[in-house]
Amino acid sequence: MWRFCNTVNNFGMDKKCVQLWQRLSAALKPQISADSFKRWFSNVALVEAKEKSITLTVPNNIYQLWIESNYMPALQNAIIATLGSSRSVKFCGPSTTGAQTSSEDVTADKQALPAPPVDIRPGATVPGLNPRNTFESFVVGPNNEIAHAASLAVAQAPARTYNPLFVYGGVGLGKTHLMQAIGQFVWAKRKNVKVIYLSSELFINEFIDAIQHSNLVKFRKRYRQADLLLIDDIQFLGGKERSQEEFFHTFNTLFDGHKQIVLSSDRPASEIANLEHRLVSRFEWGLTAELQPPDIETRLAILRKKANAMQIRLHEDVFQFLATRIRTNVRRLEGALMRVASFASLSGKELTKEVVEHLLKDILQEEGRQSITIEQIQRRVAEHFDVRLADMTSKRRPASIAFPRQVAMYLARELTKASLNEIGDAFGGRDHGTVLHACKLVKKRITEQDNIRQTISYIDSSLQR
Amino acid sequence: MKFSVTKEKLLEALQQVQNVVSTRTTLPILSNVLLQANETELHLTTTDLDVGVRGTCEAHVDKAGATTLPARRVFNIIRELPSSEIQVDVDGKNAASIRSGQSFFKILGLPEDEFPPLPKFEGAKVVTMRQKDLRDGLRKTSYAISTDETRYVLNGVLFSFKDNKVTLVATDGRRLAMAEIELEFPRSHESDLIIPTKAVTELQRLLTDDGDVKVSMANGQIAFDLNKTLLVSKLIEGNYPNYRQVIPGEAKERVKLEREMFLNSLRRVSLLASDKSHSVKLNFTKNNLDITANTPEVGEAKESLAVPYKGREFSIAFNPEFLMAPLRALTEDEVFLDLIDEMSPGVVKIQTPFLYVIMPMRISS
Repeated sequence: MWRFCNTVNNFGMDKKCVQLWQRLSAALKPQISADSFKRWFSNVALVEAKEKSITLTVPNNIYQLWIESNYMPALQNAIIATLGSSRSVKFCGPSTTGAQTSSEDVTADKQALPAPPVDIRPGATVPGLNPRNTFESFVVGPNNEIAHAASLAVAQAPARTYNPLFVYGGVGLGKTHLMQAIGQFVWAKRKNVKVIYLSSELFINEFIDAIQHSNLVKFRKRYRQADLLLIDDIQFLGGKERSQEEFFHTFNTLFDGHKQIVLSSDRPASEIANLEHRLVSRFEWGLTAELQPPDIETRLAILRKKANAMQIRLHEDVFQFLATRIRTNVRRLEGALMRVASFASLSGKELTKEVVEHLLKDILQEEGRQSITIEQIQRRVAEHFDVRLADMTSKRRPASIAFPRQVAMYLARELTKASLNEIGDAFGGRDHGTVLHACKLVKKRITEQDNIRQTISYIDSSLQR
Repeated sequence: MKFSVTKEKLLEALQQVQNVVSTRTTLPILSNVLLQANETELHLTTTDLDVGVRGTCEAHVDKAGATTLPARRVFNIIRELPSSEIQVDVDGKNAASIRSGQSFFKILGLPEDEFPPLPKFEGAKVVTMRQKDLRDGLRKTSYAISTDETRYVLNGVLFSFKDNKVTLVATDGRRLAMAEIELEFPRSHESDLIIPTKAVTELQRLLTDDGDVKVSMANGQIAFDLNKTLLVSKLIEGNYPNYRQVIPGEAKERVKLEREMFLNSLRRVSLLASDKSHSVKLNFTKNNLDITANTPEVGEAKESLAVPYKGREFSIAFNPEFLMAPLRALTEDEVFLDLIDEMSPGVVKIQTPFLYVIMPMRISS
């Protein structure tokens, strides 16, 4: 997915890597025997050097095994001597050399599996943190400024301001981004700080594993010695009693030791099902910050920032179109941008509104479904049956009005998440039984009469467009 | 099912199979032992779905049949029984009555059809080797198996069938043990298999010094048939690292050492190897080897051995545990230690095809 930005400076990169490897080799040679160097490092090449990590290609897995087990200290010394600070070292197989930088993320992930996160040393990254998720790359708008400010405060002075920090909001609104930004900020700023980032699901799994292999002591030691504990998607703790208890004690230990805890969830703590009260009250102890869906200006800003980062050029209209039509979810917004951009670069066609609309058909439909309101339905149905909008809520009930009203109720039930009561209220304070009756009636007539089925499916599709 | 059996025989058979039974298991049936009685014999089977063991025990069978009973519990009962004659009678509801002398036990079991069957080896490649050879080979290598679960391909012993040899290899990244067994087999049987640690451990317990073992390999499984007992195991999937890359080139110095003396000296000196660096230093001078260790603020140890050494004087440090492991496993009186220089790996060799590569530690002084 990084095709756009990386191919540009690929060749320059290659040459730089070769030179860097030569310098590293020179620093490495005196530290190990000539035979060992020839045996283990003469077939190795450097393919990528980043701020925090370097990637080496090795002919096969024995190289990685032997270098990791035996020559890591020497290699780190050489890295410090040539680059000034340490880097985490990644390995990849021989197939991904040269121009295929596009697959780098994939291979790095693959390599991360067999090679455990042993890199818990200064200079290496915290396992599980995506280096792209920083405060710099976070777009602040009115929807998330409190959460952002609180996170920044926490990152600047862990355990002094808000402890615990509890961030919640819907999917794709930046919870994980903020948490990881805190982790990386603290990590970069202070040496010898133990940052642990994980999802609550992983916490539970490790806990179960620890029980199974009876090394609870090790498990506890790992988490209770953290300086900063970031737990994502804490709502999954709901209903897991033993894990909750374990987490409760971890929480207390850290809190009493003045260590920062940051939690995220997709709903407020009090609404997490089957979560013990003592945990709920603790989660609400510090600061609770909500992330809301971004407004249009923020969405535009996000799109521009993303496009910039990926070096994509798009017409202003396309940005506008995307920002207007995709409202609920930043992740989806990025996906749409990516899709549009890749289409533009692959086909070379000009992007018109129609093209973009066609391209994002499924996303837009999904979005549309979520934003339909009862009022829209009423208006659309009234228009179609040629009755007044006021008739939708009035007390009158001749057949010419009652049936369209029933259809509108049925559609409101199908297309919105409103409850029967809410729908009844929206239709002039009617009883929920009335709404239920309307839904049943319309459903029955749909199965019996073709023309009614057609009418309703027409209104349905026109609403969702 | 009804049979009578002597305590010793049943206990022996149970001992062979009960180690496979895991104490913490998700399926209750896996903590049971499958008992199958035919005319003259009683078969006992246990499995944890990865490794399965089947043992045989002579019995006087009155009524053939099969059931499963909680393995650990039955083992504890049989061990404590007062008389050497045991009668077992299992009713149609899998309740077993165990009688011996004045004792009577009733144990509730589970039906046999719930017990997962051991895999079939139809059309498998089969080779036969001497039990003693395999036992020796495993003893010489298995201690070097990695316990790091993230490197799962190393959590076992590699069996490499090639050029009429079986090469056994185990490594954890800091040392590597390799042994070879000469064996005739058709070219079509050449393959590399990784046998998981648990199967290796169990196999080592079952193998004896006499008789043959029939090895069958088929689709991800391996079976070791020891005539009376059978061990079946899943293989570890994946490619074992190319171990030949690790073996150093020609040695500069070769030292002949009395294995036991060297081992004892190492053991004594290592008592003062510090927890942190955990290394002992070998200082070679003419016809002499000094083994030293020291821990700051604790003390130091030194032991001298007379060795036939004519080469240049130098020092090399090793992890004492890693150096002692092969010395314990070998039975030969003399071993050779091949060295190149202080930063290159050392190699322990004997007269037969075996070698052990050990990485040196940095000498910090």
